[in-house]
Amino acid sequence: MISLKPRSILLISAIFRVGLILFGEWQDTLMEVRYTDVDYLVFSDAASLMASGQSPYKRTTYRYSPLLAFLLIPNSFISRCWGKFLFSASDLFVGLFIHIILKQRKVPDYLCTYSMLIWLFNPFTFTIGTRGNCEPIVCAMILWIIICLINGSFLQFKICVLERQSCNVVQAAFWYGLIVHFRIYPIIYALPIVIFLDPRFFRSGAKPLLSDWTSDQGKARQINSELIDKCIVCDVSKSTFTRSRILFGLISGTVFLLCTGFFFHLYGWEFLHEALLYHLTRTDPRHNFSIYFYHIYLNYERELSVLEKLISFLPQFIVQLVLILCFAKDLVFCFFVQTVAFVAFNKVITAQYFVWFFCLLPLILPWSNMKLKWKGLCCILLWMGAQTHWLLWGYLLEFKGKNVFLQLWMASLLFLAANTFILIVLIRHHNYGPVFRQHTDLKTTKTT
Amino acid sequence: MSSHPQLRLVDIMYVTRTLHFARNNHVLRMKFVLLVPSFEEFDILSFQVETNSDAGKFIMKSYFENYESLHDSSFEDFMAHQLSSSLCQGIPDNWNVGVRLSVRELSLVGEGSHRHLSSSIRLQIGSASIPKLPAHLCEVIVIQRLPLGVFADPFELQIPHKHKAFRDIAVFGDTNLELPSFRSNRSAVEFHIDAGSNILFMQNNGTEFNLLLPLHARYQPLDESGYSIVEIGEPDMLMRCSVEGKQHKQSCLFVSPSNEKAKSTSATVAWKIPAGMKAHAGSVSVITFVTALLSTLSIVYASMFWSGTKVSKT
Repeated sequence: MISLKPRSILLISAIFRVGLILFGEWQDTLMEVRYTDVDYLVFSDAASLMASGQSPYKRTTYRYSPLLAFLLIPNSFISRCWGKFLFSASDLFVGLFIHIILKQRKVPDYLCTYSMLIWLFNPFTFTIGTRGNCEPIVCAMILWIIICLINGSFLQFKICVLERQSCNVVQAAFWYGLIVHFRIYPIIYALPIVIFLDPRFFRSGAKPLLSDWTSDQGKARQINSELIDKCIVCDVSKSTFTRSRILFGLISGTVFLLCTGFFFHLYGWEFLHEALLYHLTRTDPRHNFSIYFYHIYLNYERELSVLEKLISFLPQFIVQLVLILCFAKDLVFCFFVQTVAFVAFNKVITAQYFVWFFCLLPLILPWSNMKLKWKGLCCILLWMGAQTHWLLWGYLLEFKGKNVFLQLWMASLLFLAANTFILIVLIRHHNYGPVFRQHTDLKTTKTT
Repeated sequence: MSSHPQLRLVDIMYVTRTLHFARNNHVLRMKFVLLVPSFEEFDILSFQVETNSDAGKFIMKSYFENYESLHDSSFEDFMAHQLSSSLCQGIPDNWNVGVRLSVRELSLVGEGSHRHLSSSIRLQIGSASIPKLPAHLCEVIVIQRLPLGVFADPFELQIPHKHKAFRDIAVFGDTNLELPSFRSNRSAVEFHIDAGSNILFMQNNGTEFNLLLPLHARYQPLDESGYSIVEIGEPDMLMRCSVEGKQHKQSCLFVSPSNEKAKSTSATVAWKIPAGMKAHAGSVSVITFVTALLSTLSIVYASMFWSGTKVSKT
């Protein structure tokens, strides 16, 4: 059993990432194939445009919030690696937040350590930050929002006149508004958060009680009727407009509108089109992991009817709704399954989207009954296998010029099937439990 | 317009190409027409001078100031009709200089959607007899017009270490990297290569410049065969020399046109790019949606059945 302290793990991860960034710089200068992601060059160019007082949208294919360009302005005068260091630092923060969240829920040390290692030493995650991709920032913010929502102790603002618990709802709302402005996809978490802010747990004057991880995870099968939120709809409608919910909605909405309004004022319609509308209406016919890419390409020359657009949106909508209604109380698991499903059913899937659920995976694994040998390993191999299979056909198409569109499309169908299967397996093996216990004697039983 | 018969454009027997620089009232324009013996036919040269050497630095920039998109006919017109006349100061009328630019080799290197267009340009200077030609600095300008199906990434071309030999490279026209070819317009890449100083003084049998232009294929319109053939023709080439004039620095442009016959047999390279097949459209859409539906139903079933349960370890 590894008995590394979190501090040591973070230190080793930091040194490793610094090394990778330096290696990346070396590779860029000397080798034909660049280590740095193309997107990083886009961000840097946009940042230097912003630094010289111009609109970052003058840089074609810059489709992010101006906040990102703003964060990367030091690229122009400190070092062009500044952004990479920032993203890698966010990466480390994600590791730290994973540790904090699990410790809050009394997960044993060894599991905390494994969870941290799963994130910090996952080849996918450490390359993504060091290559200059901005997703680690998004992940860090999501995890911080989770911390704010489940924690009450050390996050209070001294100046906050509301109670401690409301302070955290305020903080969570602020970061939530910001992240939806930054990346849009976290909007799918809005409903679960609102459901999660249940007045039975979020009572004024008292910190919500976390239900802890116990070693009883997964003893005998038991259908606990109190846990099944059959009447989650009734719950929501009965006391929908509670203080926490209203506060959360108002603050996050205000932050989002303020950010959007401010940048609209600065950069006009170009900002709105590139940073927001593009993502909402994006249909890219170029090949990607999504099952829809070939359908979009074959029909690109004609305008798709409203019915067709609706049909392609329906699976996504239904899955999200059902997952929310079934799992909202177990917020972290809900976020995870929602994100996996969102990515899998999206019209465009690129590899960087996988980070969105990778950062949540270490948070749900302590509650999973699935053992690494052999079910866990099978799932990993299945997922990677389906991806590799797709990549092989993609390579033949893009780098060998063979017409393998049909085979590539079938590979993307297989990839969806693999994602669905793994999602179902994870749901089946998850020990569902609401994050919070009730304050009254009506505690939810978890063991036999 | 000069009355000298050789200097009148209408006397030109063969097609010439000239360029119109930026509409600048202060531009001192000069027209020169020279009949030069060449291998098979007369090469007619004309050039134009500007006082402001920075105006019209990129020829394609001027083209796109006058035209919205790149069409072969518009481009030919632009090159042929934009001619103004005035004399180049300090250059005698009977100056005979043969500047010949030709494409020695044109080929497509690589496989797949990302390839390089390799072209080898030869510059030859015929016998020169201008005793009092002032000092000059020359550059070769190569304009590669690209067809609809491919594009050049302007950001890739800006990477300095890759293109040390070029003084300038720029892409004009539709540089959108993401749209398929049926939603995009043509583009052109303009290279400026240092040819050296005072090269018109001496005869030169041939200097060669090698260009390697990275190109990327766009998504093609649907085709029954599953492939779309895109043809890339030879580049257009000219040479521009900056001459130190009495008052200002002047630019003289040399064009070495080939006649129509030679152009039609000039080399093109063909690029076979995979394209979607219309025959697939119906079944792909149906199967896609059915698969999505099946996945949805599985996830819905699993969520409703297994939420709120505890599973025993096996």
